[in-house]
Amino acid sequence: MRRWTIRVLPVFAALLVLSPLVRDPTSDTYPLSTYPMFATDRGNVHTIATAVERTDDGFERLSPKLIAGTDEAVLASVTVTRAVRLGEADILCEEILERIGAGRRIEVRTETLDVVELSVEGSSDSTVSVHARCGGGS
Amino acid sequence: MTQRLAMLRILVFGYAAVWTIVRAPHLLDTIDLAARRFAGIGPLWWLNEPAPALVIIAAVALTPIACGAAALGWRYRLSSWTAVVGFLFLTTYRNSWGQIFHTENLVALHMGVLALFPMAAACWSMADWSVDGTDAPADHEARSRAVVKALSVLTVGTYFVAGVAKLRISGFGWIDGDVLRHQIAFDNARKELLGDPTAPFGALMLRNSWMLAPAAIAAIAVELAAPLALIGRRAAWIWAGMAVLFHFVILAVMAIVFPYHLIGIALAPLLPIERLGTTVAAWHCRFRRRSTRLRPTG
Repeated sequence: MRRWTIRVLPVFAALLVLSPLVRDPTSDTYPLSTYPMFATDRGNVHTIATAVERTDDGFERLSPKLIAGTDEAVLASVTVTRAVRLGEADILCEEILERIGAGRRIEVRTETLDVVELSVEGSSDSTVSVHARCGGGS
Repeated sequence: MTQRLAMLRILVFGYAAVWTIVRAPHLLDTIDLAARRFAGIGPLWWLNEPAPALVIIAAVALTPIACGAAALGWRYRLSSWTAVVGFLFLTTYRNSWGQIFHTENLVALHMGVLALFPMAAACWSMADWSVDGTDAPADHEARSRAVVKALSVLTVGTYFVAGVAKLRISGFGWIDGDVLRHQIAFDNARKELLGDPTAPFGALMLRNSWMLAPAAIAAIAVELAAPLALIGRRAAWIWAGMAVLFHFVILAVMAIVFPYHLIGIALAPLLPIERLGTTVAAWHCRFRRRSTRLRPTG
């Protein structure tokens, strides 16, 4: 390594890692991220997309693995949100049914609720919109 | 610094090897994901559809081996670059399914710098030219110092960028605690609705809302003050301690793990981590001397 490289190396590292600062902060990529993950004020009322299994007593929550074939809850959430947004809830519903096994009843839905109330009180009144149903007798 | 650089090589590539093994099931899960969900990002921007299963399996199998070899300094030029390409491919590929994660960015950057400079394998390695660091050529010291400084700059730079993002997106309103309240609540609610375990202390923090503004100020202070860690050893220790605490709090209230940061490897370039290596080397020497003494003669 030449002498000038030694001097320039930390400066080059600084320019590289700070380069996302010239981008729109919400325009994220990898590995040079703008790190926007906890920066936005999301408010307390949210519409969260999810999928549940209908039972005789009501419904049961499904794991990220069953919903989206991954153990990452965030990725599962993005997968359902995207499916609902693109009108692909039916396709996702069938994929979940394939993973969970025939004869069960699946519902892809969005729940609008106060997330602070849910976290603090343990429950919150929610408005449910069903986007797709599939499985036994649907 | 020759020894610190060597220790960083062992820690960073060692971490990447373990990460790839532990996350192998998740990485292999991508083979079965619906192709319509894929959109290449970053270094894989040109990829419009998922890679063939064989490529993923080969990358998952070979990357930890290459990372392990690079950690040991074995055929370093080849092993380190293979490790970087494999790790960058796998993590970028994982991020190309609709959600960009922020836990492996710094690992990839550190690996890239370490691979660029083969002198990282000049000490405590299986390389033919390995030395114990104390008898390294004089110019190694200056070069190693520059590489370690670059690794330190990458560490503090990522925190600084994260702090600036909060101010650019939400302004100084970020520090009043409301944004943090909504982030913690949203993250835990989403986990609950998607059948994932929630954070053990998330609700506790939300119930005691007086904690939120100080926590928000502390979080943004840790991020924006990160460059101060470069001014000296004492500042580096103080900041590193705060950063580890910051990650523990994130884990406690949001159940989000930044393992590379939480166990301190991300912060290691700033600290005299070489002491770990010299201690191990001293034990090794003592053990060898004792076993030589105990060996029966004649």
